[in-house]
Amino acid sequence: MGCIDNLGDVLMMRHITAHLIFVVLLLAANIAAGGYRETFEREFMLSPWSIAKGETSACIQCHTSANMGPEMHKITREWKQSWHAKNNISCHDCHGGAPEDASVSMMHQRGFKGSPKDNEVPEFCGTCHIAILDNYLKSGHGKTFRDTADGPSCVTCHGSHNIQQASMDIINEQLCSQCHTYERAKEMKQALFIVENKLSNIGENLDRLKLLGINVKDEEQSFFRTHAEYRALFHSIDVDMVRTKSSDYTKRLEVIEGAIDDSYTKLAYRRNFSAYLFLLFLGLGIVVFLLSKSYENC
Amino acid sequence: MLEKIKQWIEVRIGLEELVNRHLRSYRTPKGANVFNTLGFVALVAFIVQVITGIMLLLYYVPHPDHAFQSVQTITNEIPYGWLFRLIHNIGSNIIIGVIIIHLIHVFLRVSYKKPREITWISGCLMFFLMLLTSITGQLLPWHQTGFWQTTVTSTIPAFLPIIGEGISSYMRGGEFVTGVTLSRYFSFHVVILPVLITALIGLHIMLIRRQGISTSPVVEPQKPSEQADTFKRESHVEGQPCFPHFSLKRLFMVMLYFSIIFFIMTFMPNLFLPPESNMPANPLMTPETIRPAWYFLAPYQLIKIIPNDLLGISVLAIFTIFFTFWPFFDAKEAERDIRKRLFMANTAVLILVVWVVLTIWGMYS
Repeated sequence: MGCIDNLGDVLMMRHITAHLIFVVLLLAANIAAGGYRETFEREFMLSPWSIAKGETSACIQCHTSANMGPEMHKITREWKQSWHAKNNISCHDCHGGAPEDASVSMMHQRGFKGSPKDNEVPEFCGTCHIAILDNYLKSGHGKTFRDTADGPSCVTCHGSHNIQQASMDIINEQLCSQCHTYERAKEMKQALFIVENKLSNIGENLDRLKLLGINVKDEEQSFFRTHAEYRALFHSIDVDMVRTKSSDYTKRLEVIEGAIDDSYTKLAYRRNFSAYLFLLFLGLGIVVFLLSKSYENC
Repeated sequence: MLEKIKQWIEVRIGLEELVNRHLRSYRTPKGANVFNTLGFVALVAFIVQVITGIMLLLYYVPHPDHAFQSVQTITNEIPYGWLFRLIHNIGSNIIIGVIIIHLIHVFLRVSYKKPREITWISGCLMFFLMLLTSITGQLLPWHQTGFWQTTVTSTIPAFLPIIGEGISSYMRGGEFVTGVTLSRYFSFHVVILPVLITALIGLHIMLIRRQGISTSPVVEPQKPSEQADTFKRESHVEGQPCFPHFSLKRLFMVMLYFSIIFFIMTFMPNLFLPPESNMPANPLMTPETIRPAWYFLAPYQLIKIIPNDLLGISVLAIFTIFFTFWPFFDAKEAERDIRKRLFMANTAVLILVVWVVLTIWGMYS
């Protein structure tokens, strides 16, 4: 209280103290009444809702429980990092079943498929990736798989739960030379190079434009179609066909690149227009300021 | 021709007399500076929000299936739609900043004292309503940022006992943020809150015009004994006329306000539009960080660091009540010059510093 040497401050302190006593009493009563909810609500507020919702999925709940061994835990851990998880593809989308109800989640009557046997893998993944399955089955990879039941299937290159967005990096010496020489794969990688580079650049630019608020819905759809078709074509493992058709894909991608350029031009126009307005108001501000100064002593 | 038009208007509405009475004869106190114009700047900023809001309203569709796309259409397809959207977006943040500085200025000048208690309270209420307008506006584009910010902000009232759940449930129109929440927030954002704010603006301006702009305690010290018990308008005979002197200061600040908006639009167009605000709302995908708008970071951080949620929200509620009704808590007979009231000045500065620290902490936590 040493610094309070003014009557006003002393009076104010008395007011505040009286009100604070009342407030503290009220607060104590409130805490006594509401404290029981504290832990739940803190977790509720800080834990993201989707995770809270995800935890209600019977598959994830069970596979992350203490009853399961580390191998089972690994499945959910890997899935959470995967391209599937990023695109909201959950366990039941591939394995079927009823994730909302643990008691019936693994019943075949509820569509539960379980894990596919090795020879069922292409059909399993092909449920969604239809065009790729067609080309794969006609390819050297698919034929070998069908004939020997031991050839490369989807999981050989892409893995099973930790599936990442495919890129040219998937064609590498370590992986391909498990079955054949890398030379053949290298030839394919070279054939893919131009289109794959364009795909990668366009993908990045579309993401960037989207985050800048540009509507690229049409370009995205066109990109998705071209991308999916090209990837399906690649699964034929036919280097000559990939080379022949690459120019068609290049043309289609150039159209999208044109639209992207237009979007950047639009952004540049917006920036220039805003800059013009900024300079205009700044200039007017300076004029008004000088005018107000001239009136100050009037 | 121009003279004829002026004469035509003059005969009908008496423009000359109107300007003389409300601008030339209306005088501002000695030492009135740019800080005194902030109320006017806030008014202009509000009008800008209303105008740009109406432009957006022409094309906006308040439905979860169409809201995001309609905002995308406004930004990308409608001629200069991007300009209106960005002015509305950046302006909504600037207006809060202007009101905060205005409130701090009025507080430090102790201008809230008798007879201006109602003016202070109406100003505080307008500030809170403006914050509510921001909260409700964030959800309307139905993007990830708005959706998850609403999820968090609508949960906070639930920490209050007894009435908390009711408030949260009323805000959302149910257990979760859904289309019901969107239509509810839409009604509040475009009709209910602006009407209430406009009514309060009317009251606020009426009071200022009746009482006159408060003097600076530094330039014109006022003794407690001078506080009259009858209504007395401060006419500031020795001050300067509102027009053109003070009006030019106001105009300068309005130009500065627009310059700041267009500066941000040129160099940092996405300052208040983080990447998630260009992604449609997805209840199944939580953004990595859910952070409220900058002006809510301090209260948000306070709730996070206080171990008991109820205690956290109670501290905020008490602070808000104290702040709003401060003219009645402050000593009636006290000096207006805050430099002579060390305790109050130090407390105010301490609260401001804590507020800034909590905001920065919230930004990086």
